[in-house]
Amino acid sequence: MSYGKKDEDADSGLVKIDRTQVFQEARLFNSSPIQPRRCRVLLTKIALLLYTGEKFPTTEATTLFFGISKLFQNKDASLRQMVHLVIKELANSAEDTIMVTSTIMKDTGGSTDSIYRPNAIRALCRIIDATTVQSIERVMKTAIVDKNPSVSSSALVSSYHLLPIARDVVKRWQSETQEAAASTKSSGGFSLGFSSSGNLPVNNSTMTQYHAIGLLYQMRMHDRMALVKMVQQFGAAGAVRNPAAIVMLVRLAAQLAEEDPQLRKPMMQLLDGWLRHKSEMVNFEAAKAICDMRDVSDAEVSQAVHVLQMFLSSPRAVTKFAALRILHTIASFKPHVVSVCNQDIEMLISNSNRSIATFAITTLLKTGNEASVDRLMKQISGFMSEITDEFKITIVEAIRTLCLKFPSKQAGMLQFLSGILRDEGGYEFKRAVVESMFDLIKFVPESKEEALAHLCEFIEDCEFTKLAVRILHLLGVEGPKTSQPTKYIRYIYNRVVLENAIVRAAAVTALAKFGVGQKDPEVKRSVEVLLTRCLDDVDDEVRDRAALNLRLMHEEDDELADRFVKNENMFSLPFFEQQLVEYVTSDDKSAFDTPFDISKIPVVTREQADAEDRTKKLTATTPSLKPPKAGPTKAAPSAAEAAASASAAAQKYAQELMQIPEMKEFGAVLKSSPLVELTEAETEYVVGVVKHIFKEHIVLQYEIKNTLPSTILENVSVVATPSEEDELEEVFIVQAEKLETDVPGKVYVAFRKVNGEGSLPISTFSNVLKFTSKEIDPTTNEPEESGYDDEYEVSDFDLAGSDYVIPTFASNFAHVWEQVGAQGEEAEETLQLSGVKSIAEATEQLAKALSLQPLEGTDVPVNQTTHTLKLLGKTVNGGRVVANVRMAYSSKTGVATKITVRSEEEGVAALVVASIA
Amino acid sequence: MSPGMSLYSVNAILILSSEDGSRIFTKYYNPPHQAANPGGAPAVQNPYPDKTAQTRFEKALLQKTAKQTGDILLFDNRIVLYKMESDVALYVVGGVDENEILLYNVLLALRDSLHLLFKQSVDKRTIVENYDLVSLAVDEICDDGVVLETDPTIIVQRCSKAPSQDVNLSRIDPFSEQGVNNLAQLGKAKLTDWLRQGL
Repeated sequence: MSYGKKDEDADSGLVKIDRTQVFQEARLFNSSPIQPRRCRVLLTKIALLLYTGEKFPTTEATTLFFGISKLFQNKDASLRQMVHLVIKELANSAEDTIMVTSTIMKDTGGSTDSIYRPNAIRALCRIIDATTVQSIERVMKTAIVDKNPSVSSSALVSSYHLLPIARDVVKRWQSETQEAAASTKSSGGFSLGFSSSGNLPVNNSTMTQYHAIGLLYQMRMHDRMALVKMVQQFGAAGAVRNPAAIVMLVRLAAQLAEEDPQLRKPMMQLLDGWLRHKSEMVNFEAAKAICDMRDVSDAEVSQAVHVLQMFLSSPRAVTKFAALRILHTIASFKPHVVSVCNQDIEMLISNSNRSIATFAITTLLKTGNEASVDRLMKQISGFMSEITDEFKITIVEAIRTLCLKFPSKQAGMLQFLSGILRDEGGYEFKRAVVESMFDLIKFVPESKEEALAHLCEFIEDCEFTKLAVRILHLLGVEGPKTSQPTKYIRYIYNRVVLENAIVRAAAVTALAKFGVGQKDPEVKRSVEVLLTRCLDDVDDEVRDRAALNLRLMHEEDDELADRFVKNENMFSLPFFEQQLVEYVTSDDKSAFDTPFDISKIPVVTREQADAEDRTKKLTATTPSLKPPKAGPTKAAPSAAEAAASASAAAQKYAQELMQIPEMKEFGAVLKSSPLVELTEAETEYVVGVVKHIFKEHIVLQYEIKNTLPSTILENVSVVATPSEEDELEEVFIVQAEKLETDVPGKVYVAFRKVNGEGSLPISTFSNVLKFTSKEIDPTTNEPEESGYDDEYEVSDFDLAGSDYVIPTFASNFAHVWEQVGAQGEEAEETLQLSGVKSIAEATEQLAKALSLQPLEGTDVPVNQTTHTLKLLGKTVNGGRVVANVRMAYSSKTGVATKITVRSEEEGVAALVVASIA
Repeated sequence: MSPGMSLYSVNAILILSSEDGSRIFTKYYNPPHQAANPGGAPAVQNPYPDKTAQTRFEKALLQKTAKQTGDILLFDNRIVLYKMESDVALYVVGGVDENEILLYNVLLALRDSLHLLFKQSVDKRTIVENYDLVSLAVDEICDDGVVLETDPTIIVQRCSKAPSQDVNLSRIDPFSEQGVNNLAQLGKAKLTDWLRQGL
């Protein structure tokens, strides 16, 4: 039935309906008698304007609103329904809408069983305000328990909308809501005479339960017992038939289990039952809830995984998507549980839905093992050309993470990367590929020459200046160290001839790095010739750089050149940034009197920076489409975060220490240990310690918190007694003057190394807290005059070898191992770690306990029963420490390890081994 | 990850022209009465408050989904369910943690209701010509972000057809034969209307 005359002259596109024209036409509402058909057309036009983004100004909206309210005189049901709809939409922009309350109220009355009753209820709650909600109470109460589900749902949803303004009134409708939620009525609908004889389907919607449960939760939000009862009552089989309503119950159950550990078990049972519910919606929600559960066990998760696995082969994209999305989350903290689905997930890589394919790939890259990587790469490259840049970037980044995880697979991956580098693509995509290759060069030394060759080829035909410059810089850094530096010189000089000024300048600098300090006179001479030619360049920056570098090459003394061109040190960038920000944002004007002092910024070697960079990149979870969440990470923050917070903490410590005048003369902090808890978290006084290593001193920083209410501790100090008193001599104690309840304070105890700066004393400290305790007078809130002295003993801790070691990165472990072995000494230890449940756990703990950096990807165990962990670090004095840990796992005895440590400095190897023994 | 216990699960329902991306029907949901309560933090805030942000979102979304079939995608950190019907694109937008199947049911309800309402093909012209039915149907599916009903037969049953013709009272003249005929015709039309709507 087409009644719209307005469309006749429009064959495509929306009919041009003008707001002012419609407003003019609205006079029709005032004509008498009312013509329902024409009015409905006009109302439709208003709806169309509203739904395509047109906004009526307040005055127009108000005029329209009251014009429309005249239509209530007509009894036509279809007109009335439309009236309610438009009133609802206009309620926001019109004024004084409250005036029509009583008119609409008539339509909501229990006696009429007309089609527009639900619409009237919904319109009513839009025009009402907080003060008049009470007047509609009776109407709403009857509507909520109405036998027509549409009426009941509308009333429940309207009550839900009213919550923010009239929570107290709505709360009084609880028993009605409860009734609506519990009713499993299937009849209802239209009870008027002949409607049942007609062929109308009976309205047996169960959505009412969904709305009722949603509303009930809001009413009982602060009453946990009531909520538990609610889950148990409605969670029973058959009590609630609507799947969406059960979804609400699943969420509620998960929330209760999260808040109260006691409820975890019964709720888990419910969730487990819901995993097998006949509605997919419920299955997914239950699976999601289970894997979000705190400290979820493998067995519990694998139940959920099993259910999800079945959905992976569903024909519906949405089902696959939902299943995969949950599996993807599980894979990021329990990859081994998901790996049973790998086969099914692999089928989805080439799915036509990009979101599904992306999730499939990123999930596989997390769960995949070394063997499946090659197959995966082949599959990916099959469809790489047909996808968008954005998606390509996701894949490239996932592969980069994988490269770092499995360095032995670098050849295949490099092949893949260079292949896609030749494909068409925008800047962002090329940048991602080039960055991945940079990382390969940095962290997987075997791939260096080949990767450099690919990059050389790429810049021959590279349209992006930025990328060309970065690649040239890298060639300059890495090229001279390769076996055939001349090969690269040709590529670089080609750029000087063919490119724009920016690239030329970069090429000149890169070229110079081959020449400066070059031992081979032949190479040196050719670089010199090439640079001399650059002196005639049209661009002055290029000429300047060429001249500077020529001059450096002619320097007799290589030291100057080395400092300029081959400096391996860099500033600690995060620290540098923090200092600069602090300087710039300083409120104190006097801060700007002195210029920023760059010499205060600690300098790190490239090796150290690389080590940090690598851990960050590895632990940065494989790129995903969703933002990181709380959830499983709540229990164990990811390693990347931990690393980031650790370095931030180190800076914070360093700053705090510098505030103490006595410590200024100690020099810079060489290393700060992580916080060691010396008491349980629930004790009266919570104490932790941080060990700071200085050149000639050791400072123990005690973090103390007084948890006793209404007491105050004064003159708090710690008597720390080292077991080796002849090696460490106490210098001073900085007391905490006052410790109020729950305000943490710090006490510093400084020791001097008796044997001078080279020595690395190890010792066990026993600690006794000494303080004056004063009670706070409850009437005045002032501490009482007199207190009593008290002591409190806390656990001992060790100053061990690992406290002197800093994780360091190197690309070739075997090389370092031999080097250190040749010069230094070796120590060995065999250990049985019975409390450890897996190789992965042992790996993580050992690396942490020894405070060494895992190399060559050995931090990710490939085999579940045996593993070799390769570790490297530096002592605070700069000597290298390497460790080779072989592990074997058996379910009976735990993990057996054999640790071999080599060190350049005397005695260090034994010290480090001792730190975990 | 739990989206909490809120019933506000739909951010927007959109019907766009898949040819030029122009709007046919767009409704972004905001919980009512939220503004009246500045003290309480708004539980759900629609991320696309004004028309510019909305059209930008729609343009980008259409571009994303133009060549794909797959029903679902993550876009701008929200879940978007979509279906193409001849020259129109139907979208349901929800929060990133929302239950995918629930939203999918909303989309199916929308599509199937349109099919039931129009019998013939669902296209732009039909939708514009029967805009009253479409707006009533969407209103029955979702009320300001709360999913109201997902069963298409119930939804369609709740959408009243427009009155068949306006009554011209001057033509009802009880003193002439023509007038009586008119009255009878009117009665018949009313009755069929009434029967059809089951009132």
